[in-house]
Amino acid sequence: MSAAARLRQAWMIAAMQLRRVFFARRSLWVYVLALFPTIAFLGHGIEVVLTRDSFSDQITAPAAIARVREGDTPEQVLERAGEPITDRTTPARTLRNGRERPERRRMMYFDGRSRWYLNFTSGELTSKDSRLLIDFADDRQVFAGIFQYFYLRLAIFFGCLGIFMNLFRGEMLDQTLHFWFLVPARRDVLLLGKYLAGLIASLVIFTAGAALCFLVMLWPQESAELATFWPDPGLSHLFWYCAAAALACVGYGSVFLAAGLLLRNPVIPAIVMLFWEGINPLLPAALQKLSVLYYVQALTPVPAPMDSGAPLLIQLLMSPAAPPSPAGAVLGLLALTAVVLWVAGYAVRRLEINYSTD
Amino acid sequence: MSTEEPGGVSAEEIVFDGVSKFYGEVLGVNRVSLRIPPGISSLVGPNGSGKTTLMNLMMGLIHPDRGTITVRGLSSRDPEKLMQISGYATQYDAAPRGATGFEFVNTGLLLGGRSKAEAEELAWKALELVDLTDAGHRKIAAYSKGMRQRVRLAQATANDPDVLVLDEPLNGLDPLVRAETIAVFQKLAARGRHVVISSHVLHEVDVISDRVILIANGNIIAEGDVRGVRDEIHEHPRQYLVRCPDASRVASMLFEQDHITQIQIHEDQLGLLVMTRNHMEFARALSRISLAGHTVESVMAADENVDALYKYLIGGGE
Repeated sequence: MSAAARLRQAWMIAAMQLRRVFFARRSLWVYVLALFPTIAFLGHGIEVVLTRDSFSDQITAPAAIARVREGDTPEQVLERAGEPITDRTTPARTLRNGRERPERRRMMYFDGRSRWYLNFTSGELTSKDSRLLIDFADDRQVFAGIFQYFYLRLAIFFGCLGIFMNLFRGEMLDQTLHFWFLVPARRDVLLLGKYLAGLIASLVIFTAGAALCFLVMLWPQESAELATFWPDPGLSHLFWYCAAAALACVGYGSVFLAAGLLLRNPVIPAIVMLFWEGINPLLPAALQKLSVLYYVQALTPVPAPMDSGAPLLIQLLMSPAAPPSPAGAVLGLLALTAVVLWVAGYAVRRLEINYSTD
Repeated sequence: MSTEEPGGVSAEEIVFDGVSKFYGEVLGVNRVSLRIPPGISSLVGPNGSGKTTLMNLMMGLIHPDRGTITVRGLSSRDPEKLMQISGYATQYDAAPRGATGFEFVNTGLLLGGRSKAEAEELAWKALELVDLTDAGHRKIAAYSKGMRQRVRLAQATANDPDVLVLDEPLNGLDPLVRAETIAVFQKLAARGRHVVISSHVLHEVDVISDRVILIANGNIIAEGDVRGVRDEIHEHPRQYLVRCPDASRVASMLFEQDHITQIQIHEDQLGLLVMTRNHMEFARALSRISLAGHTVESVMAADENVDALYKYLIGGGE
């Protein structure tokens, strides 16, 4: 049989498997994992849009707020800035320790971008704080954090575990794997077909999930901010996030496909892989290259935010020592995947069907 | 005539050469050396004797720990080539979750390189053979046990295979489909194909098999055509049913022979069940009795069947 015919066979097997992979009841949680960040950003966006809408007829000019100074009385502030959106007063009272707490008052204005909080103590303006209704730079950092700490490390990791482990192990549990072993196709062609099915499903679910989340993150942003970000460098960021998600599926998919052939219990490879991926940045450079995360992290366009006060060990675990170039990351991960699939091919050729020993 | 290639590989036979298979500590089959020619061969043995193991080894679902297997010259480790010429109906529901009967049969044909139209035609033909045309588009999960058995049969036969391996294929079939199915096996065998069957229904095996392979505890006890195997069993006297009007007289004449070990006269006094240690001598004795003027209407072997072989070699039987 020619290589082209074998590729056709692999594609046919993939097409037949796709329905099972996409619509399996036991894989529904994969969609939940993939869409969770989108739902979080959607909630944030809806809140921003609703707030902006509700404040739209009470916008105070930034210049008017700028004229307000510390030491002003509430009446002076009302005269300069007009009626606030909210105005709350806490009356003076005696605390338990006998001390007097003076009357406090807080007015809130909105200048079209930021909320302004004017704090009065004993009838005098003591502080003026502003908070952006939506902070694009901050949101991008949050997105980078969610993408690296949740999406890559957990959502795609466990999603691929669910999808790819099931391709062989699920059929063994259903006692239907021998159907595939009795078709006129080489075992490695079957492996390729099943891998393709898992890959297509995970790519669609997780790459689309990443893209959707990114777009939902952009949706409520100020148009002026967006204009400086889209299409350049926004489109490039979107591309690299999607590429990182896709390559994570390629890498984790191959690992869990092989694990499904070699091990019965999915918990074992999950724990081993989580541990390995977790400690990888602490390992020698050569061993770091045996990690999916090592390559995929290098593709993300925005580094994950890290609290400068975080312990050194955590800081080390979250960042690879010497990240590869994007091209190196892609080639490295593809090479790693090829090696893992070769091992899986060896395992599937030796795999035996034995539901009974009659 | 078999086309034998160097190393004992035959392009026309299924060859097991010193095959052993263990499941951990448990023996599956032990040093099996077999050459199965085309025709209908039945694997007969008690539960756990290794019948399914032999079939799974033949079809490459499991691999031998020792020895080699070739199926019409093809290695059992090469499913791409092997399954082009083979069909295997296992005991288990093989259909992927959610598959319809038609999809189940059609998939193997498409993967085997048939065009869509050709595969569909063959799939429907196979479904028609097992009387499942109307249920073809229904999900197999909704099939009854008998229908599942039939759809497995359809899937195994759809490709018009050279080697058809069937694990308990007649279970759950109604008499009509059973008869039609047996006719298909016989037709395939007549065209020089291999049909390898395992069955518990010994009288059915007897009717349809060209040869039997008796297996117990993972060892081949005997193999060959039923008469040939019977000839090899010397420790059990052969049994013949003789129909004759003067049964008592014939019985007393036969008892004069040394090789006769036992005679039972039938209730109707018109027949005898004779047990002999030498069937050639028995035949000569009957000729002499006949020449002496006693009518012998018919002589029939009473233990040249699979049930008797099973009883003699393995113990029990139907």
